[in-house]
Amino acid sequence: MKTDDLISILSRSAGAAPRAVAARRLAPVMLGGALASAALSLLILGPAPNLETVGTALALKFAYAGALAACAAWLTARLARPIARLRGAVAVVAGVVLVAAVVGLLAAFDTPAGERLPYVMGDSWLQCPWSVLALSLPTLCGTFWALRGLAPTRLRAAGLAAGLLAGAVGAFGYAFTCHETSTAFIALWYTLGIGMAGGVGALLGPNALNW
Amino acid sequence: MNHDASSDDFEANLKPLWMRAQAGDEAAYRDALSRIAVRLRGYFSRRLFGLADDVEDLVQETLLALHLQRGTYDPGLPVSAWVYAIARHKLVDLLRRRGRREALNQPLDELCEALQPLASDSHFARRDLAALLKTLPAAQRQAIELTKLEGFSVSEASMRSAISESAIKVQVHRGLKRLAALVKGSS
Repeated sequence: MKTDDLISILSRSAGAAPRAVAARRLAPVMLGGALASAALSLLILGPAPNLETVGTALALKFAYAGALAACAAWLTARLARPIARLRGAVAVVAGVVLVAAVVGLLAAFDTPAGERLPYVMGDSWLQCPWSVLALSLPTLCGTFWALRGLAPTRLRAAGLAAGLLAGAVGAFGYAFTCHETSTAFIALWYTLGIGMAGGVGALLGPNALNW
Repeated sequence: MNHDASSDDFEANLKPLWMRAQAGDEAAYRDALSRIAVRLRGYFSRRLFGLADDVEDLVQETLLALHLQRGTYDPGLPVSAWVYAIARHKLVDLLRRRGRREALNQPLDELCEALQPLASDSHFARRDLAALLKTLPAAQRQAIELTKLEGFSVSEASMRSAISESAIKVQVHRGLKRLAALVKGSS
Protein backbone atom coordinates (compact mmCIF):
# COMPACT_ATOMS: atom_id res chain seq x y z
CA MET A 1 0.00 0.00 0.00
CA LYS A 2 1.26 3.48 -0.81
CA THR A 3 1.66 5.88 2.06
CA ASP A 4 -0.77 8.31 0.41
CA ASP A 5 -3.42 5.57 0.45
CA LEU A 6 -2.79 4.98 4.14
CA ILE A 7 -3.18 8.72 4.79
CA SER A 8 -6.53 8.61 2.95
CA ILE A 9 -7.66 5.70 5.08
CA LEU A 10 -6.60 7.35 8.32
CA SER A 11 -8.08 10.78 7.58
CA ARG A 12 -11.37 9.72 5.96
CA SER A 13 -14.28 10.11 8.41
CA ALA A 14 -11.73 10.31 11.19
CA GLY A 15 -13.88 12.64 13.29
CA ALA A 16 -12.50 14.68 16.14
CA ALA A 17 -9.64 13.42 18.27
CA PRO A 18 -10.77 11.70 21.49
CA ARG A 19 -10.45 13.87 24.61
CA ALA A 20 -9.14 13.14 28.09
CA VAL A 21 -7.85 9.75 26.95
CA ALA A 22 -5.69 9.17 30.04
CA ALA A 23 -8.41 10.16 32.53
CA ARG A 24 -10.93 7.90 30.82
CA ARG A 25 -8.66 4.90 31.29
CA LEU A 26 -7.20 5.75 34.70
CA ALA A 27 -10.42 6.74 36.51
CA PRO A 28 -12.15 3.33 36.28
CA VAL A 29 -8.85 1.62 37.14
CA MET A 30 -8.48 3.70 40.31
CA LEU A 31 -12.06 3.12 41.35
CA GLY A 32 -11.89 -0.63 40.70
CA GLY A 33 -8.46 -0.86 42.31
CA ALA A 34 -9.62 0.93 45.46
CA LEU A 35 -12.62 -1.39 45.77
CA ALA A 36 -10.44 -4.46 45.17
CA SER A 37 -7.77 -3.44 47.66
CA ALA A 38 -10.37 -2.55 50.34
CA ALA A 39 -12.25 -5.80 49.77
CA LEU A 40 -9.09 -7.96 49.86
CA SER A 41 -7.90 -6.14 52.96
CA LEU A 42 -11.21 -6.65 54.83
CA LEU A 43 -11.78 -10.23 53.65
CA ILE A 44 -8.27 -11.68 53.93
CA LEU A 45 -6.57 -9.58 56.63
CA GLY A 46 -9.77 -8.61 58.46
CA PRO A 47 -10.83 -5.18 59.74
CA ALA A 48 -8.67 -3.59 62.42
CA PRO A 49 -10.07 -4.49 65.87
CA ASN A 50 -9.93 -0.83 66.90
CA LEU A 51 -11.32 0.55 63.62
CA GLU A 52 -14.01 2.64 65.39
CA THR A 53 -11.66 4.16 67.93
CA VAL A 54 -8.79 5.18 65.63
CA GLY A 55 -10.70 7.92 63.82
CA THR A 56 -7.85 10.43 63.57
CA ALA A 57 -5.22 7.93 62.48
CA LEU A 58 -7.63 6.40 59.95
CA ALA A 59 -8.43 9.83 58.53
CA LEU A 60 -4.69 10.56 58.30
CA LYS A 61 -4.09 7.30 56.40
CA PHE A 62 -6.96 8.01 54.01
CA ALA A 63 -5.79 11.59 53.48
CA TYR A 64 -2.20 10.51 52.76
CA ALA A 65 -3.23 7.68 50.43
CA GLY A 66 -5.83 9.83 48.69
CA ALA A 67 -3.55 12.84 48.18
CA LEU A 68 -0.71 10.69 46.89
CA ALA A 69 -3.05 8.73 44.60
CA ALA A 70 -4.43 11.94 43.10
CA CYS A 71 -0.97 13.43 42.52
CA ALA A 72 0.48 10.16 41.18
CA ALA A 73 -2.52 9.85 38.84
CA TRP A 74 -1.77 13.30 37.46
CA LEU A 75 1.89 12.32 36.93
CA THR A 76 0.89 9.00 35.33
CA ALA A 77 -1.52 10.77 32.97
CA ARG A 78 1.25 13.18 31.97
CA LEU A 79 3.76 10.37 31.39
CA ALA A 80 1.17 8.57 29.26
CA ARG A 81 1.83 11.19 26.55
CA PRO A 82 4.83 10.96 24.18
CA ILE A 83 5.97 14.41 25.34
CA ALA A 84 4.61 16.18 28.38
CA ARG A 85 5.06 18.98 30.85
CA LEU A 86 6.11 17.09 33.96
CA ARG A 87 7.41 19.69 36.40
CA GLY A 88 4.13 20.45 38.18
CA ALA A 89 3.12 16.82 38.57
CA VAL A 90 6.55 15.74 39.83
CA ALA A 91 6.53 18.63 42.30
CA VAL A 92 3.19 17.72 43.86
CA VAL A 93 4.08 14.02 44.21
CA ALA A 94 7.38 14.95 45.88
CA GLY A 95 5.54 17.57 47.94
CA VAL A 96 3.05 15.08 49.38
CA VAL A 97 5.82 12.65 50.36
CA LEU A 98 7.87 15.50 51.83
CA VAL A 99 4.94 16.74 53.92
CA ALA A 100 4.37 13.19 55.20
CA ALA A 101 8.07 12.90 56.09
CA VAL A 102 8.11 16.22 57.96
CA VAL A 103 4.87 15.47 59.83
CA GLY A 104 6.19 12.01 60.73
CA LEU A 105 9.53 13.38 61.96
CA LEU A 106 7.84 16.08 64.05
CA ALA A 107 5.55 13.49 65.61
CA ALA A 108 8.52 11.24 66.38
CA PHE A 109 10.51 14.02 68.03
CA ASP A 110 7.42 15.05 69.94
CA THR A 111 7.54 11.64 71.62
CA PRO A 112 9.76 11.11 74.72
CA ALA A 113 13.12 9.61 73.70
CA GLY A 114 12.50 6.34 75.52
CA GLU A 115 9.21 5.65 73.73
CA ARG A 116 10.35 6.85 70.34
CA LEU A 117 11.40 3.51 68.90
CA PRO A 118 8.18 1.61 69.69
CA TYR A 119 6.25 4.69 68.51
CA VAL A 120 7.91 4.57 65.09
CA MET A 121 8.06 0.79 64.71
CA GLY A 122 4.62 -0.07 66.09
CA ASP A 123 4.13 -3.83 66.29
CA SER A 124 3.34 -4.44 62.63
CA TRP A 125 6.18 -2.64 60.82
CA LEU A 126 7.29 -5.85 59.16
CA GLN A 127 3.84 -6.62 57.86
CA CYS A 128 2.80 -3.13 56.72
CA PRO A 129 4.94 -2.42 53.62
CA TRP A 130 4.54 -5.93 52.23
CA SER A 131 0.76 -5.82 52.71
CA VAL A 132 0.57 -2.41 51.03
CA LEU A 133 2.59 -3.82 48.13
CA ALA A 134 0.37 -6.90 47.87
CA LEU A 135 -2.83 -4.84 48.02
CA SER A 136 -1.48 -2.58 45.28
CA LEU A 137 -1.09 -5.40 42.76
CA PRO A 138 -4.65 -5.35 41.33
CA THR A 139 -4.31 -1.60 40.73
CA LEU A 140 -0.83 -2.07 39.27
CA CYS A 141 -2.25 -4.45 36.66
CA GLY A 142 -4.93 -1.85 35.94
CA THR A 143 -2.60 1.12 35.61
CA PHE A 144 -0.31 -0.88 33.32
CA TRP A 145 -3.31 -1.85 31.19
CA ALA A 146 -4.29 1.84 31.04
CA LEU A 147 -0.79 2.91 29.98
CA ARG A 148 -0.51 0.17 27.37
CA GLY A 149 -3.41 1.77 25.52
CA LEU A 150 -1.70 5.18 25.61
CA ALA A 151 1.66 6.40 24.34
CA PRO A 152 4.34 6.65 27.06
CA THR A 153 7.89 7.13 25.76
CA ARG A 154 9.73 7.27 29.11
CA LEU A 155 8.83 3.76 30.08
CA ARG A 156 10.70 3.47 33.37
CA ALA A 157 9.35 6.79 34.66
CA ALA A 158 5.84 5.89 33.52
CA GLY A 159 6.16 2.52 35.28
CA LEU A 160 7.34 4.26 38.45
CA ALA A 161 4.40 6.70 38.41
CA ALA A 162 1.91 3.89 37.73
CA GLY A 163 3.48 1.92 40.59
CA LEU A 164 3.26 4.84 43.02
CA LEU A 165 -0.38 5.33 42.06
CA ALA A 166 -1.05 1.64 42.66
CA GLY A 167 0.88 1.78 45.95
CA ALA A 168 -1.22 4.70 47.19
CA VAL A 169 -4.40 2.78 46.35
CA GLY A 170 -2.94 -0.28 48.15
CA ALA A 171 -2.24 1.90 51.21
CA PHE A 172 -5.86 3.04 51.15
CA GLY A 173 -6.98 -0.58 51.31
CA TYR A 174 -4.46 -1.47 54.01
CA ALA A 175 -5.77 1.34 56.25
CA PHE A 176 -8.91 -0.77 56.88
CA THR A 177 -6.89 -3.55 58.46
CA CYS A 178 -4.12 -1.53 60.10
CA HIS A 179 -4.47 -0.94 63.87
CA GLU A 180 -1.45 1.38 64.21
CA THR A 181 -2.25 4.89 65.37
CA SER A 182 1.18 6.52 65.28
CA THR A 183 1.74 9.29 62.74
CA ALA A 184 5.43 8.41 62.41
CA PHE A 185 4.50 4.78 61.67
CA ILE A 186 2.25 5.89 58.82
CA ALA A 187 4.82 8.31 57.44
CA LEU A 188 7.57 5.68 57.39
CA TRP A 189 6.04 2.28 56.69
CA TYR A 190 3.15 3.29 54.41
CA THR A 191 5.59 5.34 52.37
CA LEU A 192 7.96 2.39 52.16
CA GLY A 193 5.18 0.10 50.89
CA ILE A 194 4.09 2.67 48.32
CA GLY A 195 7.71 3.15 47.27
CA MET A 196 8.11 -0.61 46.83
CA ALA A 197 5.10 -0.65 44.53
CA GLY A 198 6.70 2.22 42.61
CA GLY A 199 9.90 0.19 42.37
CA VAL A 200 8.05 -2.80 40.96
CA GLY A 201 6.44 -0.49 38.39
CA ALA A 202 9.79 1.01 37.40
CA LEU A 203 11.28 -2.46 37.09
CA LEU A 204 8.50 -3.76 34.85
CA GLY A 205 7.90 -0.55 32.86
CA PRO A 206 10.53 -0.75 30.10
CA ASN A 207 9.33 -4.17 28.94
CA ALA A 208 5.67 -4.20 29.88
CA LEU A 209 4.81 -0.71 28.62
CA ASN A 210 6.51 -0.83 25.22
CA TRP A 211 4.23 -0.21 22.24
CA MET B 1 14.07 19.94 19.29
CA ASN B 2 15.27 21.47 16.00
CA HIS B 3 15.50 18.56 13.61
CA ASP B 4 16.51 20.70 10.66
CA ALA B 5 16.84 24.30 9.63
CA SER B 6 13.21 24.74 8.60
CA SER B 7 11.63 22.91 11.51
CA ASP B 8 10.16 26.11 12.92
CA ASP B 9 8.53 26.71 9.56
CA PHE B 10 7.22 23.16 9.61
CA GLU B 11 5.71 23.70 13.05
CA ALA B 12 4.20 27.06 12.11
CA ASN B 13 2.45 25.54 9.10
CA LEU B 14 1.47 22.34 10.80
CA LYS B 15 0.03 23.64 14.07
CA PRO B 16 -3.11 25.41 12.70
CA LEU B 17 -3.81 22.46 10.39
CA TRP B 18 -3.37 20.04 13.24
CA MET B 19 -5.67 21.94 15.58
CA ARG B 20 -8.39 21.92 12.91
CA ALA B 21 -7.76 18.21 12.35
CA GLN B 22 -8.08 17.51 16.07
CA ALA B 23 -11.46 19.25 16.01
CA GLY B 24 -12.65 16.94 13.19
CA ASP B 25 -11.63 18.70 9.94
CA GLU B 26 -10.93 15.80 7.58
CA ALA B 27 -9.20 17.80 4.82
CA ALA B 28 -6.91 19.49 7.34
CA TYR B 29 -6.10 16.10 8.84
CA ARG B 30 -5.16 14.66 5.46
CA ASP B 31 -2.98 17.69 4.69
CA ALA B 32 -1.31 17.53 8.11
CA LEU B 33 -0.57 13.79 7.79
CA SER B 34 0.89 14.32 4.30
CA ARG B 35 3.24 17.02 5.58
CA ILE B 36 4.18 14.83 8.53
CA ALA B 37 4.85 11.84 6.23
CA VAL B 38 7.39 13.87 4.23
CA ARG B 39 9.20 14.84 7.43
CA LEU B 40 9.12 11.31 8.78
CA ARG B 41 10.62 9.99 5.54
CA GLY B 42 13.52 12.41 5.94
CA TYR B 43 13.88 11.68 9.64
CA PHE B 44 14.01 7.91 9.19
CA SER B 45 16.15 8.02 6.00
CA ARG B 46 18.85 9.95 7.82
CA ARG B 47 18.88 7.46 10.67
CA LEU B 48 18.40 4.11 8.95
CA PHE B 49 21.54 3.99 6.78
CA GLY B 50 21.69 0.24 6.61
CA LEU B 51 17.97 -0.35 6.58
CA ALA B 52 16.76 1.92 3.77
CA ASP B 53 14.11 -0.64 2.82
CA ASP B 54 12.53 -0.12 6.20
CA VAL B 55 12.00 3.63 5.87
CA GLU B 56 8.57 3.53 4.26
CA ASP B 57 7.43 0.70 6.54
CA LEU B 58 8.40 2.80 9.52
CA VAL B 59 6.73 5.92 8.07
CA GLN B 60 3.48 3.97 7.76
CA GLU B 61 3.82 2.37 11.19
CA THR B 62 4.38 5.81 12.72
CA LEU B 63 1.43 7.39 10.88
CA LEU B 64 -0.79 4.61 12.20
CA ALA B 65 0.51 5.21 15.74
CA LEU B 66 -0.01 8.98 15.40
CA HIS B 67 -3.58 8.38 14.36
CA LEU B 68 -4.36 5.92 17.14
CA GLN B 69 -2.71 8.15 19.76
CA ARG B 70 -3.87 11.55 18.57
CA GLY B 71 -5.78 11.94 21.83
CA THR B 72 -2.41 12.13 23.64
CA TYR B 73 -1.39 15.36 21.91
CA ASP B 74 -1.11 18.24 24.39
CA PRO B 75 -2.18 21.51 22.66
CA GLY B 76 0.26 23.40 24.90
CA LEU B 77 3.25 21.77 23.18
CA PRO B 78 4.55 21.83 19.58
CA VAL B 79 2.96 19.26 17.24
CA SER B 80 6.33 18.54 15.64
CA ALA B 81 7.87 17.64 19.01
CA TRP B 82 4.99 15.24 19.65
CA VAL B 83 5.42 13.70 16.18
CA TYR B 84 9.19 13.30 16.57
CA ALA B 85 8.79 11.79 20.04
CA ILE B 86 6.57 9.06 18.57
CA ALA B 87 8.86 8.64 15.55
CA ARG B 88 11.87 8.27 17.81
CA HIS B 89 10.06 5.70 19.94
CA LYS B 90 9.18 3.67 16.84
CA LEU B 91 12.75 3.95 15.51
CA VAL B 92 14.32 2.81 18.78
CA ASP B 93 11.84 -0.04 18.99
CA LEU B 94 12.65 -1.19 15.44
CA LEU B 95 16.41 -1.00 16.00
CA ARG B 96 16.08 -2.96 19.22
CA ARG B 97 14.05 -5.68 17.55
CA ARG B 98 16.45 -5.74 14.59
CA GLY B 99 19.45 -5.73 16.88
CA ARG B 100 18.18 -8.82 18.58
CA ARG B 101 17.44 -10.69 15.38
CA GLU B 102 20.00 -9.40 12.90
CA ALA B 103 23.03 -8.74 15.05
CA LEU B 104 25.03 -11.10 12.84
CA ASN B 105 24.00 -9.58 9.51
CA GLN B 106 26.38 -7.39 7.54
CA PRO B 107 25.47 -3.76 8.13
CA LEU B 108 25.54 -1.36 5.17
CA ASP B 109 26.98 1.46 7.26
CA GLU B 110 30.38 1.17 5.54
CA LEU B 111 28.98 1.75 2.06
CA CYS B 112 29.62 5.17 0.59
CA GLU B 113 26.63 7.46 0.10
CA ALA B 114 26.24 6.67 -3.65
CA LEU B 115 25.97 2.94 -3.01
CA GLN B 116 23.30 3.25 -0.30
CA PRO B 117 20.09 1.58 -1.39
CA LEU B 118 17.42 4.18 -2.07
CA ALA B 119 13.79 4.05 -1.12
CA SER B 120 11.62 4.28 -4.23
CA ASP B 121 9.97 7.61 -4.97
CA SER B 122 6.52 6.07 -5.10
CA HIS B 123 6.56 5.56 -1.32
CA PHE B 124 5.51 1.96 -1.48
CA ALA B 125 6.22 0.10 1.71
CA ARG B 126 7.72 -3.35 1.59
CA ARG B 127 5.04 -4.57 3.93
CA ASP B 128 1.59 -4.43 2.35
CA LEU B 129 -0.99 -2.94 4.68
CA ALA B 130 -3.77 -3.79 2.23
CA ALA B 131 -2.96 -7.46 2.65
CA LEU B 132 -2.85 -7.11 6.43
CA LEU B 133 -6.22 -5.32 6.36
CA LYS B 134 -7.75 -8.41 4.77
CA THR B 135 -6.73 -10.53 7.74
CA LEU B 136 -8.74 -8.47 10.25
CA PRO B 137 -11.86 -9.98 11.83
CA ALA B 138 -14.92 -9.55 9.58
CA ALA B 139 -16.69 -6.86 11.63
CA GLN B 140 -13.58 -4.68 11.88
CA ARG B 141 -12.74 -5.19 8.20
CA GLN B 142 -16.26 -4.30 7.11
CA ALA B 143 -16.35 -1.13 9.20
CA ILE B 144 -12.98 0.00 7.80
CA GLU B 145 -13.92 -0.87 4.21
CA LEU B 146 -17.22 1.03 4.37
CA THR B 147 -15.96 4.21 6.06
CA LYS B 148 -12.34 4.31 4.98
CA LEU B 149 -12.10 2.64 1.56
CA GLU B 150 -15.53 3.10 0.00
CA GLY B 151 -15.84 6.51 1.58
CA PHE B 152 -19.23 6.30 3.25
CA SER B 153 -19.90 8.55 6.21
CA VAL B 154 -20.35 6.81 9.53
CA SER B 155 -24.14 7.25 9.36
CA GLU B 156 -24.31 5.90 5.78
CA ALA B 157 -22.15 2.97 6.77
CA SER B 158 -24.43 2.38 9.73
CA MET B 159 -27.52 2.24 7.47
CA ARG B 160 -25.88 -0.09 4.96
CA SER B 161 -24.59 -2.55 7.51
CA ALA B 162 -27.40 -2.27 10.09
CA ILE B 163 -24.79 -1.67 12.77
CA SER B 164 -25.11 1.32 15.09
CA GLU B 165 -22.92 4.36 14.44
CA SER B 166 -21.08 4.02 17.73
CA ALA B 167 -20.44 0.33 17.02
CA ILE B 168 -19.00 1.25 13.60
CA LYS B 169 -16.65 3.76 15.21
CA VAL B 170 -15.56 1.21 17.80
CA GLN B 171 -14.92 -1.43 15.11
CA VAL B 172 -12.90 1.02 13.01
CA HIS B 173 -10.76 1.96 16.00
CA ARG B 174 -10.28 -1.66 17.04
CA GLY B 175 -9.44 -2.64 13.49
CA LEU B 176 -6.77 0.04 13.17
CA LYS B 177 -5.37 -0.92 16.56
CA ARG B 178 -5.24 -4.54 15.45
CA LEU B 179 -3.57 -3.44 12.23
CA ALA B 180 -0.92 -1.57 14.20
CA ALA B 181 -0.27 -4.72 16.24
CA LEU B 182 -0.01 -6.81 13.04
CA VAL B 183 2.38 -4.25 11.55
CA LYS B 184 4.59 -4.46 14.61
CA GLY B 185 4.51 -8.25 14.58
CA SER B 186 5.45 -8.43 10.90
CA SER B 187 8.60 -6.30 11.01
